[in-house]
Amino acid sequence: MPQAVEIIQKQKNSDQWDEPYLVNMGPQHPATHGVLRLFLELDGETIVRCDPRIGYLHRGVEKLSENLTYSQAMVLTDRLDYIASAANNVGYCLAVEKLMGLEVPRRAQIIRVIVCEMARIASHLLWLATHALDIGAMTVFLYCFRDREWLLDIFEEICGARLTVSYPRIGGVRLDFNQKIIDELYRFTEEFPRRIPEYETLIDVNRIWLKRTKGVGVISGEEAVNLGLTGPSLRGSGVRYDLRRTRPYLIYDELDFEVAVEYEGDVYSRYRVRMKEMREANKIIRQCLDKLAECEGEPVIAEEAPDLLIPFSKPKRPQPAPHPKKGFLVKSVEVPIVPEGEVYFAIEAPKGELGYYIVSDGSGHPWRVRIRAPSFVHISALPALSEGQMVADIIAVIGSVDIVLGECDR
Amino acid sequence: MSIVKTIFLTEIMKGLSLTLRKLFAKPVTIQYPEEKKPLAPGFRGRHALVRDPKTGKDRCVGCYRCAQVCPAKCILIETERDPETKARVVKRYEIDALRCIFCGYCEEVCPVNAIVLTEFYEYSGYSREELYFDKERLLQNWDEFIVTQKRPYFNPFWKPRGIPERKLPAGKRQAEGI
Ligand code: SF4
Ligand code: SF4
Repeated sequence: MPQAVEIIQKQKNSDQWDEPYLVNMGPQHPATHGVLRLFLELDGETIVRCDPRIGYLHRGVEKLSENLTYSQAMVLTDRLDYIASAANNVGYCLAVEKLMGLEVPRRAQIIRVIVCEMARIASHLLWLATHALDIGAMTVFLYCFRDREWLLDIFEEICGARLTVSYPRIGGVRLDFNQKIIDELYRFTEEFPRRIPEYETLIDVNRIWLKRTKGVGVISGEEAVNLGLTGPSLRGSGVRYDLRRTRPYLIYDELDFEVAVEYEGDVYSRYRVRMKEMREANKIIRQCLDKLAECEGEPVIAEEAPDLLIPFSKPKRPQPAPHPKKGFLVKSVEVPIVPEGEVYFAIEAPKGELGYYIVSDGSGHPWRVRIRAPSFVHISALPALSEGQMVADIIAVIGSVDIVLGECDR
Repeated sequence: MSIVKTIFLTEIMKGLSLTLRKLFAKPVTIQYPEEKKPLAPGFRGRHALVRDPKTGKDRCVGCYRCAQVCPAKCILIETERDPETKARVVKRYEIDALRCIFCGYCEEVCPVNAIVLTEFYEYSGYSREELYFDKERLLQNWDEFIVTQKRPYFNPFWKPRGIPERKLPAGKRQAEGI
């Protein structure tokens, strides 16, 4: 950034501030939700230019996956959006299953929907907590954590981990639910709709909250589509686009839920969309629990599901012994484990469209994995959302697009 | 916003009344070091090698499945043949807990349920060596863990619920509590 250094030097030496004022926000800033660095050019308190710099949390997940087998690479997807790791796992497994042409048993599909929606609620609760905290509402933060803790306890009961669940498996899920989990989930779905009004009492009509969020970071529906926003950030601008409805996967087409849409396109609408989504997710979990009772005792893993221990390279098909007279070896034929080809599969993760593009060369490990992470696209939309706003508002804007840097930098 | 609302700060009052109600509710926090949350069965915590109550030794047969499946490649196994009985003996079995990502794949693939992630999470060390578990240490981990448990202890991953029996190896199908 030689230009920036030059300008700062000039600023030092002159008495007048006619040059733009440059501020580095982050990477160690509590309100950037991770290690995001924003390079802000200010005119007084107004942002003239906002330049996000990413890559501080790069771990090379995509490259690492190429050196692991398909089932081993799944545990890396936990670490993308670590707030909602179950949704990442499900997306990855669905992509691989599509490539292999695997049909997942119904019970496993229902369970996957339940964990996905639990992850959505957990993610939105954490989002609300931190977003409110950034804006200055400390109480909501603690209330949200109380309920998120409950969900994490259920996750712990399901699969033994609270955050990095690694619960689904290629071809199904790891273990079935037991009665204790189902009862606990029923209790949760019973109680949770009463908890949401509590958060709303605290902030929904609060005039400080309204002043900070209404009319801030406005983006029209068309612009949002052009920028590639997805998920609640897009639906806050009045575009009814939800992969669960537009391209249903798992059993979403059988479920009765509404796609939450708001039309203002500001921070407040995006907040409203997420609040509605939590209620809908709760409804979905409830319906799935009822459906789960119908297929009690069925297996949760497909018959043809690959073993966890997928061989890394292509196994050799056993060949009949070569004819002794001729004395040359017949070249053995390699059997593909995952068929050759490429696949793109996207799911509606809590933060937006999470897509996996996998290229297979027929061996036991992916040749290439590309992850279309919603946070990455949302960060690229930050300049459009924040230019012309006040410095204090950029905090609200970052919060409202809901980013996680683990997913953005991968 | 009507004038009454503006003057009397109704929304702030509403929020505060909620806070006031919560003041008398049962607290959700616990006093951690004194009070502990019960862990769910199958929690993926510190590793241990199961000590077989019959033989007093570990059950591992040295099949290398866990070492192969481990995504973090943190399990080291060395085996050798016993010169007399020709049986396979596990000479070294080491886990680098600092590299482990606690995915639980090892306990899932183990055909004889020899390795287990115990429901124990409060461990730390002053040096890297302290968290590099060798075979003795892993067996010791098990001893430390099992005394705190109700017997018979059964880990859900030893025989995962809902997985058809024919997909499981014999050791898992006949898995019993210890
Ligand atoms: S839990 Fe996972 S990372 Fe840890 S030792 Fe077992 S297989 Fe390896
Ligand atoms: S999978 Fe089990 S038996 Fe095989 S080497 Fe690992 S611990 Fe030993």
